[in-house]
Amino acid sequence: MRAIWTIAKMSLVENSRKQVFHVLCLLMLAVIAGSTLLSIFTEGVKLKILKDLCMTCILFAGAMLAIALGATGVPNDVETRTLYPIIARPIARWQYVVGKFLGTCLTVAMGLGALSAVFGALIYYYQARFDWFLPTAALFALLEATVIAAVATALSTIATPAVAAALSFMIYLCGTIKVGYFGGMLDRASSGLVRTVGTTVYHLLPNLECFNLKAALVHDDAIPLSYLVLVAFYGVCYAAFALGLGAVVFKGREV
Amino acid sequence: MTPAIKTNELTKIYRLPGRRTKTAVNSLSIEVPQGVIFGFLGPNGAGKTTTIKIILDFMRPTSGSATVFGLPTTDPATRRLIGYLPEQPYFHKFLKPMELLSMHAALAGLPRRRAKEAAASALDRAGMTEYADTPIGKLSKGLTQRIAIAQALVGEPKLLILDEPTSGLDPIGRRHTRDLLVELRNEGRTIFLSSHLLSEVENLCDVVAVLKGGKLVALGTPDEVRSSSTYVKVSTAPIDDDTRDRLQFLGVGIERLSDSTIVRIDPKNLYAVLRAMEELGLPVIKIETERESLEEAFLRLAA
Repeated sequence: MRAIWTIAKMSLVENSRKQVFHVLCLLMLAVIAGSTLLSIFTEGVKLKILKDLCMTCILFAGAMLAIALGATGVPNDVETRTLYPIIARPIARWQYVVGKFLGTCLTVAMGLGALSAVFGALIYYYQARFDWFLPTAALFALLEATVIAAVATALSTIATPAVAAALSFMIYLCGTIKVGYFGGMLDRASSGLVRTVGTTVYHLLPNLECFNLKAALVHDDAIPLSYLVLVAFYGVCYAAFALGLGAVVFKGREV
Repeated sequence: MTPAIKTNELTKIYRLPGRRTKTAVNSLSIEVPQGVIFGFLGPNGAGKTTTIKIILDFMRPTSGSATVFGLPTTDPATRRLIGYLPEQPYFHKFLKPMELLSMHAALAGLPRRRAKEAAASALDRAGMTEYADTPIGKLSKGLTQRIAIAQALVGEPKLLILDEPTSGLDPIGRRHTRDLLVELRNEGRTIFLSSHLLSEVENLCDVVAVLKGGKLVALGTPDEVRSSSTYVKVSTAPIDDDTRDRLQFLGVGIERLSDSTIVRIDPKNLYAVLRAMEELGLPVIKIETERESLEEAFLRLAA
């Protein structure tokens, strides 16, 4: 565990100083700050739009950070040979992969934490009270980013940064529209083979929509605790599955 | 005593595109005794780095095996005994040396309390204490190399595997490193050193192994690897290409300098060559006997 935590810390220090991290966070902060200029709407509508826009920014920032950092961590270490002194230590390859993934998640958490704090302050300003559902929504945005980070890290153990990032982004897109779009397509598929292959791919793709609590935040809907627990469990299991695959692949890789 | 490193018929064959293969290491069997500085030499592509990577379990051999202090190299716990300095080391540029070494001490399995002390001690031994808090990205190549040496030392390894340890160092740094390696050897550690600076290897190493085409072509002390026979070195005037070709026909070695020519002659052929030089009108400026240097032995064995 100590080895994993050490690699995660090393990764966090390095990631938090990367340009992509600063640029993405500043960009989203600018969008969140800009959302306060929606003066043409009434206060009630304005608050809903603010929540919608800010939550979208947080979800998007989380996903993009997870892809940008997760897809590049391992390949960059291999290419620059920063990896060699690390795996020359008495650590297993899977510990290195998990450490890099954890470092990515911690960096994303840092970014989303900052964005959520600004978002929370804005809501407090407009509502004169704190929205206690916001931390839950932000946490599930982080969980979604964690799943994406696991996929990106797993892909990065076999692909170049560009390929891993592109594939991760595709999986992110497909995972976001999976239930609404692909579910309907499969139902209409005429060929049995297409349906079988399609169903397999459908179930392998992560269901990222379930982590999106934006609608509940905007409309002040209540979400059952059982749903949240189930979704959290699904997220942890999927991330572990993706990461496990990546660790197995990396174990056999010659560097 | 258990050898520090032992390879047994170690072979590594790479598969190339188009069903071709390349044998990088070919049935290599060596034993590195404990407590020595072992020089691992060979031309580019001889299989040195591949052998090191197999010992560190960066890759698996096609056949054969390797052990470190009798333990399998495939067990991560074995690497607790090893400190590794890669060729052209690179570290995350935003980290500071103290941060980097503390993390490596933790990865090496040192307890939290000792990790910081070990990092400070390693920095001190590498002569880098004053740069402890300077981001690595701001250090020169030579200073980064010294940090890499410190990184290999942290964790108090019994075996140090160093790939070109003095690369990028100025003469002071090289001297410091050489003295450090002798000190470490005297402490009982084993140093496995891969280097192209043969003059350094000759003065530093207790045992050398020479690789060529993945195969071991020589193993022994530097004295044993060098030819025991002497040769005669004759200095003469500068020569043209035609004269050079005529002399080379006699089986001599020729080195053309800007203001002279060195002719290396097997003592058996000395008089025949001197007669030929006289006929060619070449004056004898200096004549002396010499023993083959390690570099000359390397060229003889591996070129």
